[in-house]
Amino acid sequence: MNAENLAKAQEILRRFPQKSSALIPLLHVVEEEFGYIPPEEVANVADLMGVTEAYVESVLSFYTLFHRQPTGKYLIQVCRGLSCQLLGADDLSKFLYEELGVQRNGTTADGMFTVEEVECVALCKNAPAVQINLAFYPDMTKEKLQAFLEKAREEVRSGAGDEAAL
Amino acid sequence: MPETRLLFRDIDVPGIDRIDVYEQHGGYETLRKAVLDMTPDAVLAEVMASNLRGRGGAGFPTGRKWSFLPKDGRTRYLVCNADESEPGTCKDQEIIYKDPHLLIEGVATSAYAIGAEDAFIYLRGEFKVGFEILERAIAEAHAKGYLGDNVLGSGRRIEITLYLGAGAYICGEETALLESLEGKRGNPRLKPPFPATAGLYGMPTVVNNVETLCAVVPILAMGGQEYAKLGTEKSAGTKLFSVSGTVRRPGNFEVELSKVTLRELVFDLAGGPLEGREIKGIIPGGSSVPILTPEKFDTPLDYESLAAAGTMLGSGGVIVLDDRSCIVKSTLRLMEFYRHESCGKCTPCREGTMWLGQVLERIEAGLGRPGDLALLADLSENIEGRTFCPLGDAAIGVLKSGLQLYHDEYQAHIDQGCCPLGEVVR
Ligand SMILES: Cc1cc2nc3c(=O)[nH]c(=O)nc-3n(C[C@H](O)[C@H](O)[C@H](O)COP(=O)(O)O)c2cc1C
Ligand code: SF4
Ligand code: FES
Repeated sequence: MNAENLAKAQEILRRFPQKSSALIPLLHVVEEEFGYIPPEEVANVADLMGVTEAYVESVLSFYTLFHRQPTGKYLIQVCRGLSCQLLGADDLSKFLYEELGVQRNGTTADGMFTVEEVECVALCKNAPAVQINLAFYPDMTKEKLQAFLEKAREEVRSGAGDEAAL
Repeated sequence: MPETRLLFRDIDVPGIDRIDVYEQHGGYETLRKAVLDMTPDAVLAEVMASNLRGRGGAGFPTGRKWSFLPKDGRTRYLVCNADESEPGTCKDQEIIYKDPHLLIEGVATSAYAIGAEDAFIYLRGEFKVGFEILERAIAEAHAKGYLGDNVLGSGRRIEITLYLGAGAYICGEETALLESLEGKRGNPRLKPPFPATAGLYGMPTVVNNVETLCAVVPILAMGGQEYAKLGTEKSAGTKLFSVSGTVRRPGNFEVELSKVTLRELVFDLAGGPLEGREIKGIIPGGSSVPILTPEKFDTPLDYESLAAAGTMLGSGGVIVLDDRSCIVKSTLRLMEFYRHESCGKCTPCREGTMWLGQVLERIEAGLGRPGDLALLADLSENIEGRTFCPLGDAAIGVLKSGLQLYHDEYQAHIDQGCCPLGEVVR
C-alpha cells in the first residue's frame, strides 16, 4: 500500500467496535490501489489484522469484487441479470468482446479495459445496465458503449501524451 | 391509478441529497421530534401501531422485531440491510443515491427507538458510489448535530458507520450479512439464536431493510395509527415496487398496499407491454418467487392476496416476461445466478442448483432428454425445505411454478430440440 493508504488503513483499523470488521474494508483499499489483490498485499493485510494469510485468502475468495488478477484501468461490468438479459444484455457483452478483442473476464493487452458479466446490479429499471469502475451506466446501448470506449481512449491518449512529455 | 408517495415524496426534488434542501422539505423534523419529545418506547409504540412489515423480503412485523430485544443492559446494534441483491429489485438503490438523508434520518430515529448508539449500514459492494453519497450526507448530518455524541442536545449518542460488501448475494440474508460485517465469509448462521438475542459481535441486534427504516420517518410524522389506515391490517402502508423487464416504462413505483392490482401496476403505471407484444407472466416479488400468469394479474398487491395467488410479495421486484421471452432461457439465467450465489455450506443447495443448472442448460441448448422435466421436478423437491437457509427455496421458486404454468413450452424444447419461440428477437 502507498503511504496515503497506509494512513487510511490505520483509521479503518480503529473504525469498528471490533477489529475483525476491518478486513473487508482493508481489502477494498488494496483493490482500489492495485486494481486487484496482489499476493504481497494479502500478507500485508494479514499483518495489519493480526491474522494468517490463509485466513485472509479464505475471506477474500468468497467475494467476487476482489480480483486475483490485475484488471484494466476501466472495469466494465455488464449486468446479465434477468431483467437486463431480457432487454439485450447479451448483445452488449458480445459487442464489447468483439470490439476489444477480449473474452469474458479478459483484459485488453494495453491494460485499458476489463470486461466482466455480473449478476443483477440493482438498476433493473434502467436495463440493460452496466457498471464502469462501479459507477452506474443506465439504459445502455452499443452506441453508448462505443462512445464511452472512444472517450476513454482519447483521455488516455492525451494523458499518456502528457506523461511522455514529462 | 396514482402512486401514494410517502417515501418517494421528495425523491425527484433537485438537490434533495444536500442537507439544506432536505431540511427545507421538512427533513430531520421527525428525528428532532423523536429524540427531544418522545421516549424510545413511545417511538416503538408508533411503529407497533403502524403495522409496518419488513420490506426486505420476509415481511416480518417491524415493531414486533424491535420488541424482541432483551432488556439486559447489553450493547445493542442496529444494522441496515442495504445489500439489495435480489434480481429485479432496485428500490433501495434509488433512495440511497437520490435521497440519502431520508435513510440517515430513518436509521438514526430507529436507532434511538431501540436504544442503539451504533448503527451500521451494510451496502452491497456495487453501491460504491452510494457509499460515497451516504458518507458525505453523514458528514453533513454530523455537522448539524443530527448525529454524534449528543444528538440535538438530547444527551443521546447515535453514530452511523458505513460498510461496503464485496459482491455476494447471500450477504443480504441477515445472518450472512452479520458474518460479513464481522469480516468473515458470508455463510449464514444457524437460527436460533436470532439476531435480536445474539447478532453483531454476539450482541442484541436488529437488522432491517432500507425501505423499512425509511418508512419509520413518515410513520412518526403522520402517526402510527394514521399509517395503519393505509392498506389492510396485514399489509399496512405503502410499498415500493420495482418494475423491470419487457415493459414500456420500467421504474420504481410507490403504491398503497392492496389498493392497486398487479395489472394496474404493470399496465398503467409501467406502461404495459412493448409494442406488439403480450405479457405472458410476471414474477411479482423478486427472482425468488413463483410466477403469475395473466389470469392472476388482477391480484391486489398485498402480502395476503399474493400469498393466496400462490406467490409472494417478497422484495417488490416485479419482473415482466412477454411472449418473446423464453421461459427456459429465463429460468436458466436465474438458476445460473443461484448456482453462482450459493454459499456452498449445505449440500442440497450447493449440489442441487448445480444439477438444476446443468439440466436446464441442455434443455435450452436443444439437447433435453425425455425424462428431464421429471428430473427437474424431482431435484427441486430434494431442495425444497431441506436447505440451511432460504436461498435453496428461493432458487426453485420460478422453476417450480414455470414447469407447471409453461409445461408445453418446456416440453416443446425437448420435443423439437430447439426453442419453440425461434430466434428470440428484441
Ligand atoms: C438469500 C437471501 C437474500 C436476502 N437479501 C436481502 C437483501 O438484499 N436486502 C434485504 O433487505 N433483505 C434481504 N433478505 C432478507 C433478510 O434476511 C432480512 O429478512 C431482512 O433484512 C430483514 O429486514 P426487514 O424486516 O426490514 O425486511 C434476504 C434473505 C435471503 C434468505
Ligand atoms: S441454502 Fe445455499 S446459501 Fe443457504 S446455507 Fe445452504 S448452501 Fe448456503
Ligand atoms: S437485472 Fe440488471 S440491474 Fe437488475
